[in-house]
Amino acid sequence: MGENIIRIRNVKKIYQMGSESIPAVNGISLNIRQGEVCCLLGKSGSGKSTLLNLVAGLEKPTEGQIIFHKKHIERMNEDQLADFRQKYVGFVFQSYNLLPTLTALENVTLPLIFKSVPVKERNERAMEMLKAVGLEERAAHKPQEMSGGQQQRVSIARAFVNRPPVVFADEPTGNLDTKTTYEMMDLITGLAKQNNQTLVIVTHDLELSEYADRIVMLQDGRIEKIEDRRKEKEETETAAREKGTAVKAEGEDGHD
Amino acid sequence: MNTKDLISMAVRNLLKRKLRTVLTVLGVVIGTASIVVMISIGIGMNESFARQLEGWGSLQVIDVSPSGGMSYDEESGRMKQEKKQDPLDNKAVETFKQMEHVEAASPVKTSYFMLGAGKYVADANIMGIDPAAMEALGYKVEEGRALNAEDSRAIVVGGGVEFYDPKLSWEMRYTSEPPQVEILDKKIDVSYDWNYGSRYADKKIKATKMEVVGTLSAEGNDSYWVIMPIKELEKIQKARDDWEKSKYGGSSSSSNRNQTKEFDEVRVKVDKMDNVQAVQQQIKDMGFRASSLTDQLEAMKETTKMLRIVLGAIGAISMVVAAISITNTMVMAIYERTREIGIMKVIGASLRDIKLLFLTEAAFIGLAGGLVGIVVSFGVSQVVNLVAMQQGSNMTSSIPIWLYAGAVAFATGIGILSGYLPAQRAMRLSALTAIKTE
Repeated sequence: MGENIIRIRNVKKIYQMGSESIPAVNGISLNIRQGEVCCLLGKSGSGKSTLLNLVAGLEKPTEGQIIFHKKHIERMNEDQLADFRQKYVGFVFQSYNLLPTLTALENVTLPLIFKSVPVKERNERAMEMLKAVGLEERAAHKPQEMSGGQQQRVSIARAFVNRPPVVFADEPTGNLDTKTTYEMMDLITGLAKQNNQTLVIVTHDLELSEYADRIVMLQDGRIEKIEDRRKEKEETETAAREKGTAVKAEGEDGHD
Repeated sequence: MNTKDLISMAVRNLLKRKLRTVLTVLGVVIGTASIVVMISIGIGMNESFARQLEGWGSLQVIDVSPSGGMSYDEESGRMKQEKKQDPLDNKAVETFKQMEHVEAASPVKTSYFMLGAGKYVADANIMGIDPAAMEALGYKVEEGRALNAEDSRAIVVGGGVEFYDPKLSWEMRYTSEPPQVEILDKKIDVSYDWNYGSRYADKKIKATKMEVVGTLSAEGNDSYWVIMPIKELEKIQKARDDWEKSKYGGSSSSSNRNQTKEFDEVRVKVDKMDNVQAVQQQIKDMGFRASSLTDQLEAMKETTKMLRIVLGAIGAISMVVAAISITNTMVMAIYERTREIGIMKVIGASLRDIKLLFLTEAAFIGLAGGLVGIVVSFGVSQVVNLVAMQQGSNMTSSIPIWLYAGAVAFATGIGILSGYLPAQRAMRLSALTAIKTE
């Protein structure tokens, strides 16, 4: 696995509710590695979403540092943050957040439009992406004409179309049924692994963490435990190899 | 984000909310149309003044006369003796010709002679000018041509000059139909004998034969004049002076003036109406008296200035209302599209993109309103003119091209201005809060 793409140093986020200080994130330090699938697992109120928002530059930490490559996200102004999000980050949300008046294809091209990619190229890339999520036939449909799962596929296509180094997914399957949830997780981790993209998933669902290389368990704004599944996986893989059994290569480590 | 995408996105957003967009545009249409129509009525009034004055003579001509008399001093409010400046002679005329914006200048001498054509005669006011300048001085030649530099014994007769039979009694002259005398391209007599053609005529006075090369319109200030090269006029005057001297002895006042070579008047033609006042002032500064019809025009404009200001203000108020309505529409749009703005920000829109998007939408409302507004203005202007024509009022409406172009640009500018605050607001929306908005 690659080097650290994001370094989180003693980050705190304290909300002021009247005279009361509520620490949503209370001193977290964590490294996120290039190409890994990192799962922030925790109950509601554990601070996992806040942490994601801080790392994605949607909120400013009260204290601490968040370093993406060598850039301090917490020091960026709005313009720099916009630029950072455009170049390096993709988002998948629980509520899809598609623009209702645009077709699936247009929704996927949107990040490329903001990046001033020429029409022909961006349409090709968006179509390619829709194919990858299995929705090429629905390209001309508006979000309300699609099922929740299909909408989330469009939103995944949109998050990956720009090939960002990092994709953040906030409860990406929260609104989906179990079957679709697994489809979606296969899709999203598959896409990330294909291009060696880093994927940070926030969830409260322990089962989803099955897809992760590393699980960061959060409680009350602190890291409770970090579970490195890679090691386990590698161990099982090695064990399996030693046994001479074919193992389903979930990790596609060849990219590293 | 490139301009093309920005525009197409802005237009789509506007079309998404058709009714509201149309209503907001309508406000701008009304604002633009009322400003344009109000201004056009102001312009129309000024133009109708100018037309009215055109009937009296050219608005591009300045009449210069010698100073040295008494004049009203505006500062002290008393009459004062004017300083005697350079004489209004040929040298002065040459100076005027050299001035910027001056197309032509001609000395003017006037006299009173008799014309004779066959058995008919006419009493005529004679104006002697530099024949080369006649065309430029704006005389309205109806038939034939104006005098030119080569002309010597040629005249142009005003349409208002009436011939009569000198043998008739006084009553008959004025009660009978004036005879139709064909004079164009004919040689007629010009004589300083006041009794020319009648039985009291002095047989010793010889009339000068002159060819009528053109006639002036029967309307306007020049219609009663006969235009003649100034040299010819001077010759006839000289002959008259000599005759008077031989008959009565002594010298007349007019002969003195001839000797000093000073003119009663010099007419100066300016290239454009707008430059008349400036040239006039320059001539005044040289110490001459100068007046032109634009003086009257300025005075007329001054009297209606207040009316025009009020008209403009009425238009401006509707535009202010329209501007507020644009701002309102855009603010509403931000509330409705908060989430959309948030999504756009999160997936890579720059602050500039968001701001430009809203500004473009507001600009398009202004542009559309301006374009429809000038079409409406054109219609209203036609109606105003129709009514004015029927009622014979000079409250006409005239829309020059610059007003059309200016109105569209102004409406678009108002749109951008009205959209500025909302755009700023959209830009500052926190992406996170926006996304959480349901």
